[in-house]
This record gives sequence, C-alpha cells and structure tokens, in this order.
Amino acid sequence: MPEIIFINEQKTLFVAEGTTILNAARQLGIVLETPCNGIGTCGKCKIKIGSDYFLACQKSITENIVVITENKEQENRTLKIVSGGQSFSYQLKPFISKQFDGEKTVVYGGNAVLGTEPENTSELCYGVTVDIGTTTLVVAIIDLSSGKEIASESRLNPQSAYAQDVLSRIHFASNNEGLKLLQHVLIDALNEMIGAIADKVKISTKNIYEIVYSGNTAMLHLACGINPKPLGQYPYITQIHGGEHVTESTLNISPFGVIYLPPVISAFVGPDITSGILASQLYEQKETVLFIDIGTNGEMVLAKDGCLAATSTAAGPAFEGMNITCGMRAGNGAVERFRIADDGSIDVQVIGGIRATGICGSGLLDMTGELVRTRIIGKNGRFTSQKIIDHLQEKDGKKTFFVTDEVFLTQNDVRQIQLAKGAVRSGIESLLTKMNLMKNEVNRVEIAGSFGYHLNEKSLLNIGLLPVEFEGKVKFVGNTAQSGGTAFLLNKDFRTKMIQVASEIQKIELANNEDFEKLFVASLGF
Amino acid sequence: MGKTKDELYSAMSGAVVDMDEDLSVQLSREAVETGYDAFEAIDQGLTKGMERAGRLFDEGEYFVPELLMCADALNAGVEILKPNIKTERQEEKHKIVIGVIAGDTHDIGKNLVKLMLSTAGFDVIDLGRDVPPSAFVEHAVKENAKIIMISSLMTTTMDGMADVINLLNEKGIRNKFKVAIGGGPVSRKFADKIGADGYSSNANQAIKMVNELIGR
Repeated sequence: MPEIIFINEQKTLFVAEGTTILNAARQLGIVLETPCNGIGTCGKCKIKIGSDYFLACQKSITENIVVITENKEQENRTLKIVSGGQSFSYQLKPFISKQFDGEKTVVYGGNAVLGTEPENTSELCYGVTVDIGTTTLVVAIIDLSSGKEIASESRLNPQSAYAQDVLSRIHFASNNEGLKLLQHVLIDALNEMIGAIADKVKISTKNIYEIVYSGNTAMLHLACGINPKPLGQYPYITQIHGGEHVTESTLNISPFGVIYLPPVISAFVGPDITSGILASQLYEQKETVLFIDIGTNGEMVLAKDGCLAATSTAAGPAFEGMNITCGMRAGNGAVERFRIADDGSIDVQVIGGIRATGICGSGLLDMTGELVRTRIIGKNGRFTSQKIIDHLQEKDGKKTFFVTDEVFLTQNDVRQIQLAKGAVRSGIESLLTKMNLMKNEVNRVEIAGSFGYHLNEKSLLNIGLLPVEFEGKVKFVGNTAQSGGTAFLLNKDFRTKMIQVASEIQKIELANNEDFEKLFVASLGF
Repeated sequence: MGKTKDELYSAMSGAVVDMDEDLSVQLSREAVETGYDAFEAIDQGLTKGMERAGRLFDEGEYFVPELLMCADALNAGVEILKPNIKTERQEEKHKIVIGVIAGDTHDIGKNLVKLMLSTAGFDVIDLGRDVPPSAFVEHAVKENAKIIMISSLMTTTMDGMADVINLLNEKGIRNKFKVAIGGGPVSRKFADKIGADGYSSNANQAIKMVNELIGR
C-alpha cells in the first residue's frame, strides 16, 4: 500500500493503490476546493507533487508521494467573512434568565427551571449565535444581561472537505454514516470556536445557556443529525420546521444549555432568511422592500405592507469565484475591485495589496460590470470583435480579458456569470409578478450575506442582476443571519412572532412557474 | 428573383444563423414557389444554418438565447415547407425518449437538448421532468425508441440514472437501447461508472454524440 503525506497538514495515510489524492484528503479531513465535486472540470483542487501541479481529484496514488497543498490556515486568516449585520432596537427580554435565591442560582428558560448552580452566578449569563453557512461558520458570544456581543469568530465550514456544495452535501449525508460524519466535524468545529472565543474573553463555556442556530435549511438538518435526503428530491420537503428547541445538544456549554432553531420557511429558504426578515423588520415595513441573499442559492423575500413572498434560485457557485477559470475566494491575492477609466486604463484593487492571483466574487461582478458598461462585452455576453483595449487578447483562439498575465476572464467565465445572474434576476421578476408589483414600485433593496457585503450597486446594475429601476435604492445590510439570530436570543417574543410570519409567507417554487424558462432566458442578456 | 438553388439555400442557412425569423419565412416561401423540393430546402438550407449556430455555441460565440432564436427562425421556415414535403420522401426518423430523472424538476437544459435534436431531424419524445426510472424503460419499449436520454441538474438525483440502466439489465433488454446522460453535475467519468453509452457536456455536442451512437 502506498503512503501519501500531506506535508503542510503533517498528516499521512496508507491507501489502496489507485485511490485519488482527493479521496485521501477527504479521509483525513483536509479541505480541498471541489466545486465540481471531483469530476475534473473546475481545476480548483490543484496540488503540488515535487514541482509539478496535478488535480487532486484526477491523480491516482500509485506510489509513496508527498503532496503540497495550499495553506488553508493562511486562507482562513485572510478570508473576508462579514460577521455583523444590520439590526434594529428592541427590548432586552432573553429566554434565559438567572436568579440568586440566597444560596444558589436558578437558571430559567422561559418560566421553566433549567437547572441550578451553587453560589451567586447571576452576573454570568451568556448566549451564542451560530450562523451555519454552506461555506462559512460565524460564531458570536452575546452577554444576555447587557445584550452586547462580546466576541466572534468565523472560519470555513469543515464539511467542505467532504462535499463542497449544498447538494453534494445532502447527497453525502443521505446515509447514516455520512450524516454522522458531517454532523461530527461540524459540532467539533463549533465547540472549538466557542471554546476559543470564550477563552479569549475569559468566560467559562459553562455559563453559556442558549445557542441560536441560524443557517440554511440543509446545514441545520446536518447540525441536528437529521437525514436531509428529502431536501434534494422534488418536491423538496424539509424535515425540520424550527421555531423550537432542539432536543439533542452535543455542544460544550452549560450542562442544561439549550439550542434554539428559528422557524424554517422552506427547504431552500432557511432560518438564516427568517433571521434576516427579523433583522430587517420586513414584516413591519410600509414600503416595498426586496431582501436578497446573493450566494450559491440566491434566496429572496419581497415585502409590501406586511405581505411577504419568498423564493430561492439556483445561482450556482460563480458568485463565490468557483467554476470561473481564475476564480477564488475573497482571500489574499484576490482581485476585489475593478474599474476601467475613460482613457481605457484599468484600476485594480487586490486583497492584501499583493500581486493578483485570482478573482473573487465581488471582483468578478465589478469586472463584468465594467466590461459591459464600456461595451467590451456586448448585450449578448460576447466579447466585442474589435480590439479596443490592450487587455483584450486571444488565448487559445478565444477572446480573453487579461488583468495580469496570469489572471484573466474568459468568454466561458462570462457565460457562467450570465447563468448565475440570470437565475437571480428571474427570481426577482417572478416575485414582482406574483405580488403584482412594478419594478419602480420597489422602494428599497437590501442585499444580505457576507458575500453581498463586498459588492457595489453599480456592478449589480451594469450586469443586470438588478434592474435599472433599483438604482440608488440598494443597501448592503451584512450578515443578518447573525444579527437576526442575536435578536432571537435577546428577545423571546420574536420567536412566536416569527413562527407566524414564516407560516404566512407565500412560498414560490420557480420550477412550477410555467413561464420560468422564458423568463430565465430573457434574463441572461446584459 | 434570380437566385440559384444553392444561393437560396445558403441564404436560408444565413437567415437561421442571423436569427432572422421573417427572412427565414420569406425565403422558405420563395423555395416553395420556385418549386424546389421542400425536404431538400429544410435539409440543405435551414438545418445547415442550425448546424452553424451550434458550432458558434460550441465556440462560445453564441449562448442559450441566440440558440433559441436560431431555432425559432428555423421552425418558422419549417412551418412553411413542411406541408409541401412529398410524403414518400419522408424517411423513418430515429426515435429518442428524453426526460429529467426522478426527484429533479430542472428542465431547461433538457429542453435545449431536445430542441437541438429535433432541429437535427430526430423524433424526440419528451417525458418531461421528475420521471421515474421505470417510465424511461416503459416508454422506450412502447415507442420502439433506440436511444434513451436522461438529464439531471442535482447531485442528489444522479443515482436514478444508474437505476434506468439497471432496469434495462434486469429485463434483459440492455442491448436494445443506447443510453446517454447529461446535466450540470454529470461527467464522462460518471457516465462510464454507471455504464451509460454516451455523455455530452452541452446541447450541440449531444447531436454529435447521438449520431455516433447510431453509427452515422
């Protein structure tokens, strides 16, 4: 049996001959980017053996080898993940309360006694909000007496090592073994994160009594150890409904600590969106507000006068820089801002101020937006036939826009962006039609999610992800899954309110809309 | 009008590539009025245009909307020519059953493949979406189709494609059909793994692939 050594991770494994490097990495819990799920098309799982590069998903192990991966620790440190989001003012009325009776401290959950602690610990009362995203985890400790967030941390979701996108993960967890594994690595990561930040601010995890799980529906199935298989099959049914405490707690908090799950709207519109609706107070708005979480699964909610409609669109991973030739996450070396000046020169901003090594989502949308604005890309998505700017060159016989010699945007990349933005745009159009609204009747557009935070309005309008009627109305509201989760933690009244709101939302399944195909095709152009 | 037959057919092909529905209709009428063979006009004119559009799609020059508009231009011309086809000229078309596998409702890709195969002269029987594996087999047998084409956009539903092949094997009729698969998460490797005969990464390549499967 050959031995494989991952030198950066200092992990080794004996594997059967013919095992791919990716499979070995997965067995060791080493995260390699695999947006194409290991079919050899995306090129993101590149590793180095000696001085040669290989795709980990395609390279079989036939002899003892030493593999060099990109350093993920480094990436975790530089990755731009937004932890805070817009919120609103509300009364401090947490579900958890503590009372010292002269001898011991009683911990209440609502009116029920959860447990008692010796001596007076009533000052030490904490909660945690956890945003479980497909890609990232954000954990924050909240002081339940003051309502203040005292520490937070974010990192990549370690489940990505086994299956990167949400559907692959559902597939992976469709059997008991896979489900247990994914739940296990997630709970381990959450415990580590909670432990680390509690240490940092010098509080004991024993004084954490409630955790609010925000996140998408699939991730919460995995967190709760519930088989997510039905989510991945029409008619896409959620097995959990939220609005209640989860019975099983495996987190290292107070022995009588509890986990609260906000109401689930549907299989593809999860508690992260419920938290967003709460944080943005969508059900209280007199104006017409469109709330969008731009990501792999573009979830959106349209609100008017207390009436809400929600849907989700399969945008795919292009906005995260995946399935794009030079795409990468928003870490050091990523082009994050891009502008073309009147004289045709380009202005590029790279994360970390170093040499560009790739393009992240915001950079991609900026680039596409600017190329469309300056007509280097036509309305039909084609690179123009004339060479009007030096950066537009032929590569393998196809027009390609070069930022540097190694970082470029191909015609096919533009096609991927068209598909992604077309999905979101047709979702917006469907919601407007459903609620009988014109585009110019929308008063405000709120873009949520840690990815959305780095975008700029102009690019979204230039590529037509948003219609021109939304100009000047766009507001970036940050990670509302987190801020809404905090509101759930700090005021228990929202829990009953949001159960009602979630049940009353019109849930729109785009696949059931007969005109969807036409709408989608019409939304592909710039 | 002073056009030779070749000139007219080449103009028809051009009308399709240029997505010009009106011109396609006008030229098709001209072909009928001049007394050219309608079947030949479709085959040598309109269809050639669609083939060119398919090549442009492969090269990244055309995208889904252009392909659909080209098909609209082709179909508008075919509508004019079709009633004029002499029936004895109509050869037996190859039958294909196509559908999206059970559990999946994403059918835009499948519809595009169906459209391209129809314009290339195949008789495509569309089973729709969320189609159980057994229905693929039943319809293929009933319709006496030679090719079964299955699409999936969701990793979670791909295993159903293997079920279709397993069913054919169980019934001992695997060698009567060619099975081809496609869709976002599907790959050549997956096709080989489940024992499918064909795989294509896009709608235009699908025509080439099917032609190879039937040996033409």
